[in-house]
Amino acid sequence: MTVATTTGQPGSALERTSGGGGGTLADVVETVLDKGVVIDAQVSVAVVGIQLLEINARIVIASVETYLRFAEAVDRLSIVPKGTKGLPDMVGDAAGAATKGKAISGLGKAAQEISGAVADSLRDGGSERERERPRRRRDEER
Amino acid sequence: MAQENGLFIYGIVPSDVEPTPEAEGVGSPPGEVIAIRHGELAALVSEVGLEEPLGRPADLTAYERLLDGTAVVAPVLPVRFGTVVTGEDAVEDLLAAHHDRFAAALDEVEDRLQYTVHGRFDEQEFISGFLAENASAAALADEVRGRPEIESREQRIRLGEMISQAVELRREAENRDLIDSVGRYAVADAALPPSHELDAVRVSFLVEGDDEDAFVQAVEDFAEHRRDLIRMRLIGPLAPYDFVSAHQLVE
Repeated sequence: MTVATTTGQPGSALERTSGGGGGTLADVVETVLDKGVVIDAQVSVAVVGIQLLEINARIVIASVETYLRFAEAVDRLSIVPKGTKGLPDMVGDAAGAATKGKAISGLGKAAQEISGAVADSLRDGGSERERERPRRRRDEER
Repeated sequence: MAQENGLFIYGIVPSDVEPTPEAEGVGSPPGEVIAIRHGELAALVSEVGLEEPLGRPADLTAYERLLDGTAVVAPVLPVRFGTVVTGEDAVEDLLAAHHDRFAAALDEVEDRLQYTVHGRFDEQEFISGFLAENASAAALADEVRGRPEIESREQRIRLGEMISQAVELRREAENRDLIDSVGRYAVADAALPPSHELDAVRVSFLVEGDDEDAFVQAVEDFAEHRRDLIRMRLIGPLAPYDFVSAHQLVE
């Protein structure tokens, strides 16, 4: 996950990832895919249909598999949570909340990833990006 | 030539923006990025072969690199990845047809950059916290823990579903809290759909240049308060991908 452009203050709880395609491929896909101005929907210019490589979306659906995985995570818990007993007044509330939550179960949560992600496509260093930045003439003329 | 090549459009910028000769576009070998101007606008484009499929990781990275690199020096409206037109005339027609609307949209993102805050729950932390607060889930956890799946499948599914729902509810709350905490340093925010089942927050912000430091500090503080529970990341500065939706430009 960590690439050269990922930084943060020492000890900071916040990990910083620069833009410019410097993150992981998953970051790039999540950032740019299906975003931006859609041209063909609004103007009758000569938009050419080109072949876009299939970007395989790995759909993470909150399914039985997800639930079983969460239950497995419970198996891995190293510490048995304290205070789970002797709070009978909480039981009603908690059970109620869980039932209410059923209404939203089964909503698919999609995570998109390109299959066959290759790390070396993301190797580009920062200096290269600096060079490739378009200049703005107005700034230079000042 | 005209039949075999098209122009890939990256984004729309003010007409005084000029790509550097080294700017690399999509395709293999990468196309040279040029600006096609009309009035106050320019489109950043590069030539692509129409037979060549696009969408390799390197294409997506080149696209983002060009747009993000541009965004830090000039306003830019990203155009959806994969938009290819027949040639320069088509680009000029496009700019002419929507000149004022694009120009107005560029004014809106002038000196503004996108930052995306993306957080993911630490699974163990989240689940322990959930079990500590939810007695019925904790009771289920006691039933299944250490028992083979085949014997406890039904309870496992029920427990996992409760956890999954708790994640969703908590995610909504965290997204709201984040916007409440740092939104004052942004001119716009956009909550994004989760990209992972343990996603805790995922919100993009459009931030004014002068407010960047205060914004980043506010996100740092938000992250610090959740240090053990959420692995928090700040991605950016980025071109304003999440703030140039099609409907804003459609008549």
